[in-house]
Amino acid sequence: MFSRILKNDLKRKKTMNIILLLFVILSVTFASSSINIMISVYGGIDYFLEKANMSDYVVITRSSDGVNPADDYIEAAESVTESRKEDVLFYSSTNLTKDGKTFAEFENPGVILPICDTQINYFDKDNEIITDVERGHIYVGGVLTSKEEVHIGDTITLELGDKKLDLIIDGFIKDALLGSPFMDNPRMLMNDEDAEILFSDEEIISKNSGAIYYLCTDDMKELKKEIADIPNAMFSNDIKVLRLTFMLDMLVAGLLLVVSICLIIIAFTMLSFTIKFTLGEDFREIGVMKAVGLKSASIRGLYMIKYLCISTVGAVIGYICSIPFQDLLLKSVSDKIVIGNDDNIVMGILTAFIVVLITLSFCYSCTKSIKKLSPIDAVRNGETGERYSRKSVMKLSKSRLGSNTFLAVNDVVSKPKQYLSMIITFTVCMLLISMLANATNTLMSEKLLFLFGTTKSDVYYSATDRIMMIMGSDEENAYREEINDIEKVLADNGMPGTVHVELLYAIPVEFGDTKIKVQMEHCPDTNTTDYTYSEGVAPLYENEVAFTPQVLEELGAEIGDTVILEINGEKKECIITASVISMNQLGRCGRLHESVPVSPNNAAAGFAFQIDFDDDPSSEVIEERIEKLKTILDSNKVYDVEEYVDTCTSSSTTITTAKNMVLIISLIIAALITVLMERSFISKEASEIALMKAIGFKSRSICAQHSLRFLFVVFISGILAAVLNIPFTTLICDRIFAVMGAISGISYSIKPLEVLLIYPLIICIVVVITAYLTSLYAKSIKTQDMGNIE
Amino acid sequence: MSKVIEVKDLCKTYVVNKKQNNVLKNVNFSIDEGEMVAVMGPSGSGKSTLLYTVSGMDKMTAGEVDFNGKDLSKLSENEMSDVRLNEMGFIFQQMYMMKNLTILDNIILPAVKSKKTTESRKETEKRGRSLMHKLGIEETADNDINEVSGGQLQRACICRSMINNPKVIFADEPTGALNRTSSEEVMNELVDLNKEGTTVMLVTHDVKVAAKCTRVIYIVDGGIQGEYDFQTRYTPEELRLRERNLNNWLMEMGW
Repeated sequence: MFSRILKNDLKRKKTMNIILLLFVILSVTFASSSINIMISVYGGIDYFLEKANMSDYVVITRSSDGVNPADDYIEAAESVTESRKEDVLFYSSTNLTKDGKTFAEFENPGVILPICDTQINYFDKDNEIITDVERGHIYVGGVLTSKEEVHIGDTITLELGDKKLDLIIDGFIKDALLGSPFMDNPRMLMNDEDAEILFSDEEIISKNSGAIYYLCTDDMKELKKEIADIPNAMFSNDIKVLRLTFMLDMLVAGLLLVVSICLIIIAFTMLSFTIKFTLGEDFREIGVMKAVGLKSASIRGLYMIKYLCISTVGAVIGYICSIPFQDLLLKSVSDKIVIGNDDNIVMGILTAFIVVLITLSFCYSCTKSIKKLSPIDAVRNGETGERYSRKSVMKLSKSRLGSNTFLAVNDVVSKPKQYLSMIITFTVCMLLISMLANATNTLMSEKLLFLFGTTKSDVYYSATDRIMMIMGSDEENAYREEINDIEKVLADNGMPGTVHVELLYAIPVEFGDTKIKVQMEHCPDTNTTDYTYSEGVAPLYENEVAFTPQVLEELGAEIGDTVILEINGEKKECIITASVISMNQLGRCGRLHESVPVSPNNAAAGFAFQIDFDDDPSSEVIEERIEKLKTILDSNKVYDVEEYVDTCTSSSTTITTAKNMVLIISLIIAALITVLMERSFISKEASEIALMKAIGFKSRSICAQHSLRFLFVVFISGILAAVLNIPFTTLICDRIFAVMGAISGISYSIKPLEVLLIYPLIICIVVVITAYLTSLYAKSIKTQDMGNIE
Repeated sequence: MSKVIEVKDLCKTYVVNKKQNNVLKNVNFSIDEGEMVAVMGPSGSGKSTLLYTVSGMDKMTAGEVDFNGKDLSKLSENEMSDVRLNEMGFIFQQMYMMKNLTILDNIILPAVKSKKTTESRKETEKRGRSLMHKLGIEETADNDINEVSGGQLQRACICRSMINNPKVIFADEPTGALNRTSSEEVMNELVDLNKEGTTVMLVTHDVKVAAKCTRVIYIVDGGIQGEYDFQTRYTPEELRLRERNLNNWLMEMGW
């Protein structure tokens, strides 16, 4: 008998049962994929490094005349427990051509590695380990994977010394060492026979050879000491630093984590609503069953079985759907890292099972009230008649709204619980998008300038060649000459101003028995007080210094300690007065007082030349001058402050991509939820729709009324999202920027028009159009259906 | 008197499980302006179907219904909505109302929707209250629909059907769900309405109800078997006589 009732119920209430099934599918898809994403992101870069078989420490050296002295150091290092070596060749962008033209511009040297000599695992786009490369073919990684002009199937010419090879690009490499946005060296995996042509050439070996050492140790401190003096080390860092180089990828992964959490919230909110909603439909039948003498437990059992059937089918389908959905999201995170977890299947099934349990527990709690209700209460749709709050909140007679608008607004305010899940969903979607928009805008605003250890100027002119001239010069005045030269150009062109540049000096720093090389920021033309410190007081004298928290931690020093700096070959005692905020060198740097007599000729690196015009021009004038300077200086690398921050963070594009992805996901979710909700409403309100038609409402009025309800709901969500925008952005983005090295003090750049109007409007348009299209189904309800209404 | 409804060869067929069920078979009749016509007949004879088809609530399979000069079979859905809103009033056996509106709001909703008059919302409210006053339910104006009795609710439905001053009120067993007292009150309201000039077509099983009408159409198996014309309008004093005469006629019809 029960199975017959169940069968009939599933058949007769097809629409509501299908809607419930769809919501279960949606919930399982979101929850299962989100939990797997969360685990993957939590494992994050460690998973990638582990899969790549990365070592504890990596040294990259360049041979001098074909001789690599690093071998002796590493052999002698007792702390090394395991060492692996890749013999490589270096190349530059000038060595690569396509049809006689430079193939791609890049600054960091590229690395050629024969496939037989790989000492770590390299992955292709499908996260499969690359084990074989065909003759005449290559895989490329690093910066080449993100260059628009590089395509799979391209034939490029590699010219090293006298050797020339035509190579077809077979795919892109996910490279755990050189693939990060901060390294971005374009590695080339080559067929052994092709590589042999290059490796057998003595001239090439003499000029271009080098090695990558992968070292394992149990005593990192000792290892660092033992290999500190390796000459020609282009890169010598432990796995912690390597992890930091991928922080941009982790940043997007972190955003995905936030999206996942939001998806789970949405999934369970919707599920809870749907179960209550569909069960509400069954109250009349429950009443009848009670009236004919069925026990509450039996009735409850019947519904539990029904919901178990639906949720089990939904869970299976949802789990299957979650696999491609999760892959899609994870792949969009990064094309440079392998992200995932080994427990995908187990977690997916477990999540699906949890959703079934949650569905049943929701059902159990919803049917609890059946026990308390008398048969007639149940027949009255669960209402006992004792109601103390009014159903109708607004009054048509007192309202100035049109009938459609009134009915829509009154419905929302009279049944807020019914719309709560939608309000939560739309608000979460809007918050996600606005948070990402705020993050993107902040990454492209001057508000982040302080993170790059620099001061605000009118124009930033990035000229690596000029910096190289200073660094490579024997002339004592090379720095001042370059500055004067640029100032003269400015004056000659009617825009006089002062110029200065931030330089980095690699200075050995000793504290106790720890000795490390630290990149120290210094500018003779600014004051240390112009920069931002998270703790302490800016260095005010020559013998005072500031370090980032990362360096302080590495040294084991604190503010107030005295360290020994080796400047110009002399050891000098300096007091640490502050903890400086800087993301340069992944936060492993410090700041010297401006009066420290360092020679710019000894600088290790430099930033952009900063120009401050004498006449304090407006931003429009600055823009005009930038365009003029681009022509005068024959360089496109002339930026205003926002553009300069953007080039420094180099993450705005990534965040913008993530924002667009989240926008698309949010729109799909909003549309999907709207379709299901509106379809549920039509099903539940069939009697009212028929009545409205009977008293003369046209179908289009009913569609308009239904669409207006969604418009009103989105409006409420928009207001909530606007109110929560800043707290939510701070909550999430503070953590994101903390990952990037900015510990505190971020002031967000919020564009009200974009965040409070454009994005909510996009969601609103999608929701209202979807609601309208779905509401057209109401046309199928005819006035004659009044007779069929219970 | 001019004809407000003219039905010609009206047919209505339902197809259930591939079987044709001819509910109405070539029905012909007309209703003059100001008439109050009751449709009677045994269960399943097609009374309600006739009412819904004549009122355009249900589509006819064949035939013609001329309502106030308009051929309902040729009207589009939107035109039909306009006719329902402005020229027809409906009273259902089950007192269907919008759950989220008060009694007064339910009553004035068609007036707010209609563009028939340019009156203000305040004037509409006043008119709604005046109708409620007339039907003796003014005190329920601000109540929710489940806070009033069945009789009050049905009278509210009558108010709603009257709010746009329709030409014809259709009522499907308007007293079917009411007790005797409420039933009498509701019927008296309909009679008063009819006396004021509104045409009424109703379906009923109740001889007492039908006796208050001016004409009775008796329908059997989807066809009109006979019509009984009272010749005069109902007065309370004549009720017994009208009931007796109608009963006798119905007996002849096989009631």
